[in-house]
Amino acid sequence: MRGIITLFATLLVLWALVAQVNHALADGHVYLFPGALFVTYAALMFSLPAGLAVTLLAGTVCDANSAAAFGTHALLFAATHTVIFHLRPRLPREDTIGRIVVALLANLGLFLVFSFIQVARSPAPSAAWGRLLVDLLCSQIFLALIAPWFFALQHRALVLARIEREALDA
Amino acid sequence: MPYRRLITQKPFLTLGLVVAAWLFVPAAMKTFARASFFELTAPVTVAADYARVLQEYWGLRLHSNHELIEAGRDLARLNASYELAVSRNNEMQAEITRLESLLRLPSFASYRYEHARVARRDFSGWWQRIVIRKGRNYGIAVNAPVVFTGGVVGKVTEVYATTAVVELITSPNVRLVGVVEGDDRPFSFQGGINPTLGPARGVVEHVPLDLFAAATAPKRLVTAGFGGVFPPGLTIGQITSLEPSSDGLFKTGEVKLDDRLGSLTEVTVLVPLNPE
Repeated sequence: MRGIITLFATLLVLWALVAQVNHALADGHVYLFPGALFVTYAALMFSLPAGLAVTLLAGTVCDANSAAAFGTHALLFAATHTVIFHLRPRLPREDTIGRIVVALLANLGLFLVFSFIQVARSPAPSAAWGRLLVDLLCSQIFLALIAPWFFALQHRALVLARIEREALDA
Repeated sequence: MPYRRLITQKPFLTLGLVVAAWLFVPAAMKTFARASFFELTAPVTVAADYARVLQEYWGLRLHSNHELIEAGRDLARLNASYELAVSRNNEMQAEITRLESLLRLPSFASYRYEHARVARRDFSGWWQRIVIRKGRNYGIAVNAPVVFTGGVVGKVTEVYATTAVVELITSPNVRLVGVVEGDDRPFSFQGGINPTLGPARGVVEHVPLDLFAAATAPKRLVTAGFGGVFPPGLTIGQITSLEPSSDGLFKTGEVKLDDRLGSLTEVTVLVPLNPE
């Protein structure tokens, strides 16, 4: 339980940081979506029930602060979590570069699925894709830049909360 | 063997259970969860905005006395012209009230102006919303119109204890009834085209065939004042193109919206005085 709360607290920090960056970028019509960062560490390092609980909580926070139907983020994050968890025995989960690559691929998938769900409401969907592709590119660059810091923050927070490594993966 | 297969598929079975559980959660519980999680993050949003205000304050403190005196002089001039406009407005208001009673016309909806600071802007390619720093504590209601000096901002979609969410007219979720200034035939407006580093645009549909507009001769689009929450005559944007629609019965076109919508710091919520 302490592990879930600690990791959820780090995800709240990420949400607050991204919200402030997006506030500053609003004038230029650029939006950053680092959704995979809410999922990757929990999926790679936590047991399935604990990791899924953290992911669902983070997804619900994103849902509460978006115009999407409530549950869209939570269920998409949960699906991404499941796929990463299923593949993790074959992934280099201890290596930061490996984690970043996983996060980038997961973010690409999440962004595209989310866009296909949301873009139908636009009066000119074809015109919306140009903007979405720029947002995707910026999001991937942003994610690659902050992912090492964020994974270190999550790891450090768990160490400070004295969460044993074996307890996470149990 | 089947047991081993079941173990490998366990994550997907768990996901299936989560999705099934989500589908059966009552709508009231989802609404409660949404409000709870929003309120959980609201202090972060508000605190970040207070920090920005403090930053601006200390930035302004660095200005020299000479600059402040000049700004004060300019403000005094502006105040003088605004005082004139206010007295003229009062005269016209009195004239409207006199004519309404004389002709027994129903009076226009009255509003209270609630100025609010923008705490967070959320402008994705999927939606455009702002969070303002006033909510139920100031009597803000859902669907209340929100305006600024350039015209319509959007309407309130969610109200919380000390904050409220405003959906902008640039968002594809917002539809309005508009008219061209000086014309009284209504047609529909929808936001939704937000290119990177460019001005936001919207779309108008069902425009009468005898109306013309081009980038060199744009037409001002204003709220129609009926069938919605917005009072008449508020600027939505400039119609920059009109083309016949595929059925040939109406025209469709593009509307250029105000550039300042992306950098709003203060907005005004029109709170109805006599909500129906």
